[in-house]
Amino acid sequence: MTNRTRPYKGKSGQWAFVGHRVSGFLVFFFLLLHIVDVSLVRWPALYDDVHRVYGNVMLRLFEVGLLLALLFHSLNGLRIVAVDFFPGAVRNEHRLLTAAIVLTLGAGVPGAWIIMRPFVEGRL
Amino acid sequence: MAVRTSDPPAGRPASSPSAATGRRSGRSFETWSWFFMRLSGLALVFLALVHFSLTHIVNDVVETDSDFVARRWDNPLWRLFDWSLLALALLHGLNGLRWIIDDYVRRPRLRAFTKAGLYTLSGALFALGTFTIVAF
Repeated sequence: MTNRTRPYKGKSGQWAFVGHRVSGFLVFFFLLLHIVDVSLVRWPALYDDVHRVYGNVMLRLFEVGLLLALLFHSLNGLRIVAVDFFPGAVRNEHRLLTAAIVLTLGAGVPGAWIIMRPFVEGRL
Repeated sequence: MAVRTSDPPAGRPASSPSAATGRRSGRSFETWSWFFMRLSGLALVFLALVHFSLTHIVNDVVETDSDFVARRWDNPLWRLFDWSLLALALLHGLNGLRWIIDDYVRRPRLRAFTKAGLYTLSGALFALGTFTIVAF
């Protein structure tokens, strides 16, 4: 492997880099799908038929994944901005990564519960 | 760390007469692209997380049917919000994918085709999304 694909040489920053790429990639492809499904709103009945699929349990799990990807990409993105603009953040980048992961789970787990609740409580 | 993952401008020797200008313009595009990612990223943290909260947390996903969209888009400010999210997220994602392609698609022709496909798809979906929001 070259420095191009492994610019952080295996340290925790390497995993932050991989996580940022993978989460960004996934969110981008969801965005492409989402533009198409929302465009059906010109035909309300068709939109509602397609939209109902998002309520089933498989798609709810997918939404939980989207939430986690979105949260990690947002919080790690804030870490990248901090590291780029504030010298103090460079020295603490590892701590900032830990904070990003803790906050992703701290907001993601309750969010996942709210998204899955209709299924867990048998209302689905 | 601010590693610019895309290709550096073509490596001509610094002493060559045309190198200075070629290099400077190449660098300035990637510098703007780097800066845009930070700026749009900050806006998107707000836009995307508010959007996700409203459509998955505050309201359950099954409640966001066509009536929900119609009620929301009665307010032009929500259309502006959604269109800003659409435009910034697409451009941010497009630039990210461009970096990814530069990193992993190494064969020049394949890289050009992959990028052309990505730009065409994103352009078409930007038009579709804009049309959806404006013409609803």
